[in-house]
Amino acid sequence: MKNFNRTTQKIALVAFSAFLFTACSSSPKIPSDVVDVRNKLMRLQADPQLASRAPVSLKEAEAAVQAAETVPKDKTLANHLVWVANQKIDIATAQAETRLLEDQRKDLTEDRANARLDSRTREADLARTDAERAKQEADLARQQAEDLQRQISELNAKATDRGLVVTIGDLLFETGKAELKGGAASNLNKLSAFLNKYPDRTVTIEGHTDSVGSDDYNLNLSQRRANSVQQFLLNQGIASSRLSASGKGENFPVASNESSSGRQMNRRVEVIIANVSTAN
Amino acid sequence: MIRNSNGSTSEALGKVPSVCSLTAGAIACLFLAACASTPPPTQQITAAEVAIGHAEQAQVADYASPELSAAREKLTAARAAVTKEDMKTAKRLAEQAALEAELATAKLNAAKAKAVNEEMLKSTSVIKQEMQRNQGVQ
Repeated sequence: MKNFNRTTQKIALVAFSAFLFTACSSSPKIPSDVVDVRNKLMRLQADPQLASRAPVSLKEAEAAVQAAETVPKDKTLANHLVWVANQKIDIATAQAETRLLEDQRKDLTEDRANARLDSRTREADLARTDAERAKQEADLARQQAEDLQRQISELNAKATDRGLVVTIGDLLFETGKAELKGGAASNLNKLSAFLNKYPDRTVTIEGHTDSVGSDDYNLNLSQRRANSVQQFLLNQGIASSRLSASGKGENFPVASNESSSGRQMNRRVEVIIANVSTAN
Repeated sequence: MIRNSNGSTSEALGKVPSVCSLTAGAIACLFLAACASTPPPTQQITAAEVAIGHAEQAQVADYASPELSAAREKLTAARAAVTKEDMKTAKRLAEQAALEAELATAKLNAAKAKAVNEEMLKSTSVIKQEMQRNQGVQ
């Protein structure tokens, strides 16, 4: 009895399976290549960038996929329809991509225009900054020149080929002596201030006398007076490397030694401030 | 002239063309029937030729288009099928040739659009680089 039951169960199972199998085979089975082509189309239709950009071709692709889905019995025709559907999807994709690239071009044009504008603005800014800097430099140079001119006029200096010549008259010295008088300081202070302000200028100090007295005496006196002035400037903090002193004696008169006023003009110390090529 | 002189002969001769025309008609009908069942796919072949022409116009120098080559091959094959009177195959091949050419055109256009965009990107980045270099100098 038990055995019989099991056999009936088996038969029933087989029959049911057979029924299922028939059901399956009778229902239209869609070939995998047709499923693939439908999926491919769906991917394109779901692409937010491309879906709306080739409507006509996409419609044709849809029709071609539907034609392939009819799955005609003629195997060659069926393959042909799948091929056509595939091709039409590719065409729609390429057309949509082209359209997308063209649409992106508006942004690219704008980007490039903005970059050009930025570049030009920057160039203009640079040019303006350059112009401002040049103006500042010119202003500074003019001011420096004015300063120099004022200082020179305060020094009572004469501009010569050798440089600025400041003449210290004999009134600053006792007769026959080399020591500076007390009142000489204010005059020489201007000189030391000037030299401190223009540290790149070197100074030659030359002592001169009138023709009264022996040459040796005059040479010696002029040398000592030049040394006095040098010492004064050294005491004011001017570097010794910038200073040189020499006695010229009576050999370089600036006036006639015949008159007392002429002789007075010849008794002097000249401070020659060398010109520098960079300053005017 | 002959018919007038010899009526019987004319009657006998008159029967011959009627038989001839009958036979000719039958043959024509046969041809027509043959043609109607498998006409050559003239329309598809012309369409393929036009599509190939478009693709050739869209073509860029130094840019190989495998689709265009395929289109030409399929059109040749379609014409060969016509001479073999396999009109069904000829029609499909012509359709495929047209679609290959259409894809060739679409891809060539996309490639051209891409090249233009890349050129624009490049020139923009050159401008930006120059600007940065100027900033560096400053």
